[in-house]
Amino acid sequence: MLLLMGSNTTEAHPIIANRMKKAVRSGLKIIVVDPRKIDMVKFSHRHLQLEVGSDIALLNGMMHVIIQERLYDEEWVRKNTDDFEKLKEKVAAYTPEFAAKITGLNPEDIVAAAREYATAENAMIAYTLGITEHHCGVNNVFDIANLALLTGHIGRKGNGIMPLRGQNNVQGAGDMGCLPNQLPGAFPLADDKYRKRFEDHWGVKLNPNAGDTQTRTFERMEKGEVKALYIIGENPLMADVHMNHTRKLLENLDLMIVQDIFLTETAEMADVVLPAKSWGEVEGTYTNTDRRVQRVRKAVDAHPHVKEDWEILCELSTLMGYEMNYENSEQIWDEIRLLAHEMYGGMTYERLDKEYSLHYPCPDLNHPGTFVLHERFYRPEGAGEKRASFIPVDYTPPVEEPDEEYPFVLTTGRRYEAYNTHTQTRYYQEGIKIKQTHETVDIHPDDAARLGLEDGEMVTVSSRRGSVRVPAKVTDKVKPGLVFMSFHWRDVPTNVLTINEYDPISGTAEFKACAVKIEKMN
Amino acid sequence: MEPTKQVKTVCGYCGTGCGLILDVKDNEIIRVRGDKDAPVNKGQTCIKGAFAYKYVHAKERLKHPLLRKNGVLTKVSWEEALNFIADRLSFFKEKWGPDSIAMFACARTTNESNYITQKFMRAVIGSNNIDGCNRT
Ligand code: SF4
Repeated sequence: MLLLMGSNTTEAHPIIANRMKKAVRSGLKIIVVDPRKIDMVKFSHRHLQLEVGSDIALLNGMMHVIIQERLYDEEWVRKNTDDFEKLKEKVAAYTPEFAAKITGLNPEDIVAAAREYATAENAMIAYTLGITEHHCGVNNVFDIANLALLTGHIGRKGNGIMPLRGQNNVQGAGDMGCLPNQLPGAFPLADDKYRKRFEDHWGVKLNPNAGDTQTRTFERMEKGEVKALYIIGENPLMADVHMNHTRKLLENLDLMIVQDIFLTETAEMADVVLPAKSWGEVEGTYTNTDRRVQRVRKAVDAHPHVKEDWEILCELSTLMGYEMNYENSEQIWDEIRLLAHEMYGGMTYERLDKEYSLHYPCPDLNHPGTFVLHERFYRPEGAGEKRASFIPVDYTPPVEEPDEEYPFVLTTGRRYEAYNTHTQTRYYQEGIKIKQTHETVDIHPDDAARLGLEDGEMVTVSSRRGSVRVPAKVTDKVKPGLVFMSFHWRDVPTNVLTINEYDPISGTAEFKACAVKIEKMN
Repeated sequence: MEPTKQVKTVCGYCGTGCGLILDVKDNEIIRVRGDKDAPVNKGQTCIKGAFAYKYVHAKERLKHPLLRKNGVLTKVSWEEALNFIADRLSFFKEKWGPDSIAMFACARTTNESNYITQKFMRAVIGSNNIDGCNRT
């Protein structure tokens, strides 16, 4: 069985959705947990249409039932986990009735979902940004891990937790060390042993203290402590919450460098813009959502004045007095394989060409790659070797809840044909029929009737931070009281509405919930 | 149109990682199909993967470095753009320290480019202020 949480899979990950649908035909049961009646509901056997941001109440409620009815393997939990008592204590308050009150669900449905998940032979949880883009995103993820750990649905094929990642190489970028606290190979920066390995090879002393997250960088920009910002292939002005605020911060910089393939809204504000090569023009590897490393290949020659990201940085580096020279991407990959050999040692380009893809960790040339993680939990000699701790968490409501003045909850996400800030998906092949060519605010028929709105009618959507004009789309995909918008189109910059509240640990913004009002245009 | 070559690659949009075959003619991608040999998608693609590739050849692609002069982004040579950046970054690093500089890395580019990006920040700038949209 599959617990699908906060993932509009058919629109955001269409091919993964196809595989899920196919599995349904051969017996997979899906429970969809989502405030919207997304397409996957058609293929599910249960839809828990909970209030936006109430996931922890649901998960704690389910664990309450599982513990009370002893639907977990006590022996396994004792052998592999720590802090079970703390979890038990925490979820004791979350009776199905209490959880139902917060989530807006029926207590019986919570009990049924708990039983189904716990007693399934194999059960997996897949989630997307509906879980992480909250002020409590990290706690949401902790609680998903708590549930998987409590029921032992981890470390075996057909089990586990799968975050479906939004960008082709968002997994790889983090694994490569593009995080403030992580070195390539996902090694902790704070670990002297790993840091030394990189220091020795690079011939420099490294700063051992974690750097700033993107969110923290914005805070320090506000204070004027960040003078220069270098942005590669991102469009934060459009993509980040509370756009009018973001614009002010970017204006505050002494130097802003944008390296991209188009003159994006962010690039228009830059002091220097560097033209980069795009997909189709470069060689290298991407790491997909399930740790699969695959080769990307050059198909066409780029414009002669355009350079590849790494080329630009190597030239800059050399100009600044630290020589970096590589002939091609393979040389860089071989350095990664050497320095992060535990993860990638066995993944030569040659093998990737021959075997198509390999899952890390793949430490040596004879290693087949690691298809299932955490298998130690089920190895007889492995049990108990590395225990996992429960991290009990409490439900906290979205930071901005609807009130009289702003009575609707706005939640945001993607639509099928468009991608993020739409700089690339505006270029479709001719003759392709696009269903949705502009932004809409999706609103429930009951709410539309109350406001006297027709489908397609222009409205103003406002929050405490700004407002946009957009046509209404009347649809029962959303619940009464909830409206939905994406952030794909520059003429309707949805992120002027969203709130700059962040998860204190990850720095992820609460894209998924803020309060808005909706007014007819005349 | 007959393609002159076919190139196997991986889709550059979402994290599913579908394998694609690109038909290329006269240095232009003319068709994209799902690769039947690809373990993830076994020949399937979604509308983005198969049809939203024209941006590669869009005339709006950036083709020259731009530098703001008297308030206007102006075409300059690579040499001028990179020297300007190198001078400014060295100056900031000297005057306000490495942590006055921050980097937003790219979740769309290759592992290899991302590795170099963080190496540049850590080894050259001396700062760990590097992050991406990994938080979402
Ligand atoms: S073809 Fe579609 S589902 Fe596959 S990787 Fe590309 S965007 Fe994702």
